[in-house]
Order: sequence, then structure tokens, then C-alpha cells
Amino acid sequence: MDVDLPDETSRSTKPTFVPVDDAHPFDLEAYISGYSGRTAIDRLIHIVRTCPAVAPEAFKLAVELIHQWRDPSLYQTLITEYERLLDNTTARESYTLPNPLEIAQLDTKWVDEITAKNQSEKVRLEVELKTYMNNMIKESIRMAHRDLAEFYRSIGEYQLALRHHTKSRDFCTTSQHVLDMCLSVLELLIEQRNYSHLSTYVFKAEAALDSTTAATGTNGGSAGITAASTAGPSASAGNNTNAKRKGPTEKEIVQTRLEFATALSHLGQGHYEQAALAFLRIGPAKELGDWIGKLVTPSDIAIYGTLCGLASMSRSAIKARLLDNSVFSVYIEQEPYVRELLEAYVGSNFKTTLALLSRYSTRHYIDVHISSHVYELTNKIKNSAVVLYFQPFSSIKLDRMSKAFGWNVETVEEHVVNLIQSGEIQGRIDSQNKVLYAKKTDYRSDLVARTIQVGNEIISANRKVLLRMRLQQADMIVKPPKGHSQPYGLAPEGYPD
Amino acid sequence: MDHLDLETLIARITSTPNPRTLNDYFRSIPADTREVILASTLPSGQDPLSVLDVRTNTLGVVYILSARVTVHGAVPPPWQVVDSFCHNFDREQARHAPERVVILGKNLTRLALHYNNPVASILPLRALIQRYVPDPSYLTSMHPQFLLICVCHRRFSDALPFLNHPITNIDTTDMHYTDNLIYHYVGGIALAALKQWSNAEEFFEICVTSPGLTPSAIQFEALKKMRLVQLISKGKMCPLPKYVLPGLSRMFKDSPYSSFVNAYPHDIELLREIGKKEKGVFAADKNMGLIHQAIDRAPRWALKKLIGTYITLNLADIAREVKIDSVDQVREMLLNMIESNEVSAQISASGTVTFSDPPPTFTQSQIDQLLRVAQMQSSRLNRLDMDYGRSREYLAKAVKYDGGSGGGLGRGGGMEEDMFMNTGPFAGAGQLDTYGGGPHASQTVWGEESMFGS
Repeated sequence: MDVDLPDETSRSTKPTFVPVDDAHPFDLEAYISGYSGRTAIDRLIHIVRTCPAVAPEAFKLAVELIHQWRDPSLYQTLITEYERLLDNTTARESYTLPNPLEIAQLDTKWVDEITAKNQSEKVRLEVELKTYMNNMIKESIRMAHRDLAEFYRSIGEYQLALRHHTKSRDFCTTSQHVLDMCLSVLELLIEQRNYSHLSTYVFKAEAALDSTTAATGTNGGSAGITAASTAGPSASAGNNTNAKRKGPTEKEIVQTRLEFATALSHLGQGHYEQAALAFLRIGPAKELGDWIGKLVTPSDIAIYGTLCGLASMSRSAIKARLLDNSVFSVYIEQEPYVRELLEAYVGSNFKTTLALLSRYSTRHYIDVHISSHVYELTNKIKNSAVVLYFQPFSSIKLDRMSKAFGWNVETVEEHVVNLIQSGEIQGRIDSQNKVLYAKKTDYRSDLVARTIQVGNEIISANRKVLLRMRLQQADMIVKPPKGHSQPYGLAPEGYPD
Repeated sequence: MDHLDLETLIARITSTPNPRTLNDYFRSIPADTREVILASTLPSGQDPLSVLDVRTNTLGVVYILSARVTVHGAVPPPWQVVDSFCHNFDREQARHAPERVVILGKNLTRLALHYNNPVASILPLRALIQRYVPDPSYLTSMHPQFLLICVCHRRFSDALPFLNHPITNIDTTDMHYTDNLIYHYVGGIALAALKQWSNAEEFFEICVTSPGLTPSAIQFEALKKMRLVQLISKGKMCPLPKYVLPGLSRMFKDSPYSSFVNAYPHDIELLREIGKKEKGVFAADKNMGLIHQAIDRAPRWALKKLIGTYITLNLADIAREVKIDSVDQVREMLLNMIESNEVSAQISASGTVTFSDPPPTFTQSQIDQLLRVAQMQSSRLNRLDMDYGRSREYLAKAVKYDGGSGGGLGRGGGMEEDMFMNTGPFAGAGQLDTYGGGPHASQTVWGEESMFGS
């Protein structure tokens, strides 16, 4: 978990909490019911951290879920977050936060049991691995590593899990194995929110995927023999038969998962446009298989894709790729407000767009993946909305703009000034009368002016290069002084002022 | 050869009409005796220079003058003769002995110092150089000497006839790499002093980007000054060409100039602070003047940015944005900028400033002029390309490259050589001999090429 730690501390320094009230509705139960396993607990912990209004409830749910899981250390993380909330004065003053022990307690008996069980499981798996290593059965070693990795993952030992996954790589005999390994690592990395490493494994997985499909394609009938020969009582045999039965969809399933991983990695690194494009390439939800719920829900994908798209794409692209996209529409159906948001934006109804964004900001901020990007994404959406709004006008009163956006005039002016100075709006402000004028460019004279400038630059560059060539021909080259330890050339005897 | 004295030499000078023969004769005399004799006076005590005419006997006079200014203990030549020689000598004759002209030119300042009038050497030296060079694009080793005198005595505008002609050719007589660096560095200083910022920037840039193995101290000084000049004239840094020595940019980054440049122009407080804190460094580099000018002009660049954003602004708003305390100062600066045509704006009685940007205008003659320059450039480059194509170095390399590689590359090269074969008889044949190979050598070169030619 040490990769996670700095991340958490940096976020906890941010004192902003998101509210849950009538203006910012949020249904915790409905939200969390979409997730299962570890991610549900992770998400609840994140909610405790960011949203004091529902923190007690989230705390209670989390404790319940922890009991169904096998990692008691999660409780420690949970209680630390909750106590940090209690230490924060603003949170304590504005929300009722009962003592954590009154809400829910950890069953100590369960803790003992599960720790003992984990311990024996660990010993069993390690012994198994050792036996296989001695027998030098490649396939069994690989599986032993894989099982150990899965085990470590379930108790939250990410580093060990990753280590065993990578070790199993040496014992992979078919590209299908490599692919399985990559997918498991991707799952692990997503859970860990380690965005920068995702692309490496996506790349490896894609290479493995290509060779798998190539192999099944060319081998045809002989695929059965390979499956049988590598077989043994392994899950990979199941996978192989699976591949044969489903045919092309196997590739699509993997592809969809890889797209999702790519999209998340772009999002995590703030490349919103690439993220949006990758989210839009994701296939139907059923192709994600058990990743739905285990890592993500369809409504998450709808939100990620939509926010990234709004922040980075042009209006026509949004219409063509988001609204008229039959696959993505299914995702959008999961969150009705997302469709409203998109339609308001495409319909230039920016006031509604911004209102919706702010109304559902809580929903966005409590999401583990997009949380740290919401502010920037919202800003980008606001900016492109302002740019879009101004496009058809040659002049407009800031007053009118402020009505269209639901801001006051000062905010509008500030936004517009920033956009002009960053070059996104070609316009100028009449600050006396509060009017924004579009810049009128005389393209012809502009072109002539630029041509003249470039011409002059080239002429002088030519001259300088020619002189340089002559100097080199004449051997007028600055040389290090002979027998001098001083690193620079000789200075002339006296400088004039 | 029998006994030599000055009288014989003078007789020789006056009686030999062909400067080449005369020059060969002078060269045939052993150097040490020659100099002593040339620096002496006639037996009658008469100055030999009074016997000779500076124009018809240019070659002899330049030999005598250059000997007189260098030989220890010789009588310094009278200033009038030197002055008249510089203004009137015969170019053709002088070019037979370039090294003597350069000796004279380089010692002119010392001579002037001897007559207690250092400034007096400026004009004769300028005339000497101007008459000596084939055209103003040549750089001689006398140029830096001349600029140094001009700048030392703050006679900047006297240097303009040279500074207005960019250098593209090198006269290699007694030339050292520092001559080129000093010429462009000092030239940059002179132009900066005359507030011809863009020319100054170009001079500094040439100095900074001169070829080298290690950065020279002069280049580093030039880089510092160039950055400051850019801040004054453009408000920002411009990227250096990529052939600049990487060591220089590193050295610049480690100097206090770097932080100054980075804070420019928005953070006036910080600029002043850096100016104060690093005063020692800036003053030691003699750059305080430029630093002050740069700081003074910082608000203008901030204002220019505002002009891009606003059409009307209140003077008070401007003052706040560009961080100037009083409205009157802003008004003054604005008026100044309007007068110097940097911006076009109107200030109303209420203090509202309305900016406008008139479209750039061009005249037909301006465009014609540009086209002419472009055509000249391209024909010059073409000529240069052809010169190189038939130069001995190029041909030798092309042949060597071909012989070494053979195969596919050889065939590619072969086509090129066919072209040379065709142009050879017309354009190249005469040239080849003069390159010193002689008919036999060129024969083998062509012979070898025809082996690979097809």
C-alpha cells in the first residue's frame, strides 16, 4: 500500500468537503450497491474522507463489507480517515459525526479467525509453490505464483501480489498465459490507482493478444492439441476452450478491458482528450465481464467519458461520438442526468449545463478515479462553454453573457480575460462599457506582414549561416587555450564600457 | 646581391612600374636587413617619405610606413603623410602586400598615441580599411582595432559605415578568431549605445554563435548583453539558433542573468530586487545601464499585453495591472509609446484609454524591394552552390566517397558526376588548372571518375 500513501496524504491536505443536501443530491446506498469486493470498501473510505455528510453511514457500510472480506487492515485505514475527519474543525462544526465505535465495531473474533485463516492459506500456497519449483513443472509453478498473487491481492499486499504476477511471467508458455497475467496486473494496478504503469501492461497485453489471435487463426484444428498438451487441471485450459467456443468475442472482451485500462491511465495522468477517446472505444458493458462491479460500474464509465469529452472535444464531435454512439448511449442510460448534461451542452444551454455540473459535483468528487480531476475538468468545460457561446457574436454585452451563464459580471470578465490571454478567444474587452468585441483580422495584410517578416528572418539567417561557414573555412574557430587549465577562451585584454 | 641602402631602394621603388615585380623584389631581401633599411632615413637626413608620392608609389610607401611604425628606435612617420596615405593610396598596389597594410593599420593607434592625439587615428584608419577591402562585406583584422578605438572614445556613430554592412567574407591576413568575436561584440556594444537594438542583437548573436570547440569568454559576455538587448527591444527572449555551443546556454542558466530574464517583464518587484541583489555582478560586467533600461521598459510590455485584451481601459486600471503607482506616470508612458508609434491609442479627458490597431500598411515599393532582395539572395546562393560544386575540396571528397563505398551509393554519385563531366569543359576546365593540380592531376581525377561514372 505504500504507493497509495503519499496520494492519500496529499489529498487529505485539501480541506474542501463536498456537501450532500437538496441542491446536491446523493444516494449512498444506491451508489455503493453497484460495487462489490474491495473496490466498494475503497470507495467508501474515499467517501468518508471527502464527504462528512454521509460519512457515518459510509463508515457503517464499510465495516459491514470489511467483515465479508478478508483484509482486516482495511479497518485501520477506515478508522484513520474517520478520525482525521473528527480532527477537522470545519467538518466537526457543520456536521454531526458520532463516535466511530458507536456506529459499528469490528468483530474481534472475526479478526482473529480471518488472520489465522489468511496465515494458513499463505503457508499452504507457499508450500505448494516450493513443491512445484522442486518438480520444475512450469505450468504448475506459474499457477502457484498466480494463486499467491491473487491471495496477496485479497489481503491488500499489492507489492507482493505484483511481484508474484511478474514472476509468473517467466513460466508462461503461451501468449494466452501472458495475456491472463497482464489482465490480472491491470486489475491490480487499477485497484491501486497506479495510473502511470497501466499503459505498460496494456501494451504488453496487446502484443500478447495479437499473437494469441494469430495463433488461433492459423492453427485452427491444431488448437485443440495445444490446449490439451499445455493442459492439466488448469484454469487456462478453461480459458482456451472458452476462446474457441466464443470465437471472436474473446478478443473483443480483452480489447474492451484494455481500452478501459488505457482510458483510466490517460485520465489519471490528465490527458483528457485521449481519455475521452479511449472511453468511447469501450465495447458494451457485458464485455467488461466481472470488471463491472469489481472495478467500475457502467454509470462511472458514462460519467468519465462524458466529462472528459465535454472538457476536450468540439461540439460536433461530442454530438457525433457521444450522443449518437449506440454503445456509449447504453452507458449514458445508467445516469439520466448525464444525457441531460450532454443535451444541454450541445443545445448551447450553458446555464443548465453548469447547474447540472454543480448539482452532481458531489457524485463526481466522491468517485475514486475522477475525484482529483473534477475541478480541472469543470474549469475546462466552463471555458469551452464561454468560447462556444461567444463564437457567433461580433460583440456582446458582458451583462448578457453573465445571464446566460448564471454568473456575475466580474466572474464573466475574469473568465473572458483569461481566455483572451491564453489565446482561446479572439476578442477584446471594452472594460468601460463591459462589452466583448470579436477581433477583426484582416487576413490579407496579416499574411503580407507575416511573409515580410519571415522573408527578413530568412535573409538574416542565411547571412549568418554563410558567415559561419566562411569562418569555419578560414579556421576562425574558438579553441581551448593551449596549456591552460582555464576552461574558457582568452578574454581580450580590456573591455570597453 | 651587392650592398643595399635606402637610396637604392628608393630608386628601385620609383623605377619599377610593375608592383608585382617590386613586391617580389622586397620579399627577396632578408627580412631583418630589409626592415632596418626601410626604417632608416636618407644619408642627407631627408625623410624618404617626402621623396615618394603616396599614390604612385603606394607599395613602396606602405613598406616604409609599416617598417617605421614597427622597428624599434625608428623615426615615427609624420602624421600628415600617414593621413594622406590612408585617404589616397592606390588599392591595386596595396593589395600586393596585404600583410604590410595590416601592420600599418594595427599600429596606427599607437602612432596617434605617440602624437598625443588618440582620437585622430579614427578617421584615417577608417579610410584605410574602406579603401583596402574589396567590398564592405569583408572583415579584416583591422576592423576590431578600429571599433575598439571608436567605442573607447564613445565615437559610436563613426563606426556606423562598417556596422551598417553585415560581414559575410573574411580577409584572412593575420587574422585570429578573437578578431571576429571582438568585432561583433564591440560592434554590438556600439549599436546598443546608439539604441539600434535589432542590429545590436544581430551582432551579439553572430558573436555568440561563432563556431568553436569551447565557449569563449567574449561569447559569454555577448550572450548576456544580447539577452538584455532582447528584453529592451522585444520584451522577451528569442530562442538561439541550434548551432550555438551548448555550454554557453548552460553557463547562462547558472548566472544571475537567467533569473532576471525569467522574471521579465511581469514581476517588476522581483526585477528590482534582482537588480539590487546582483548589482555587483551586473556592474562588474558593465551591464548596469542595460539592466536599468530593461527595468524601465518592463511596464510597456505588460501594457502591450493588456492592449491585446482590452479595447478601453481606465488609466487607473492600467496602473494597477502594470504595477505603476501613479496615474500620471502611466499617462506619460502611454504618451511616449504613442509618440514612438509603438501603440495607437487615444486618451480621453476622463482618463479612459481607447486602443485601436490600424492594419499594417505596405507600399508597392516596399514589396518590390523585398522581392529584389529575395532574388538576389537566391542567385547568390545558387552561385555559391555552383562554386562549391566545382571546388577542389568537394570534388576530392566526392571521388573519395565514391571509391570507398561503391555499390548502390556509387551509382547515385555517378549521375552527379556525369553532370560535372558535362559542365566541366565549359565552366570547370579553366578553373581546374588554377586550383593547382596541373593538367596531369586533373587528368587522373577525371580518369578515376569515369571509372565509376557509368
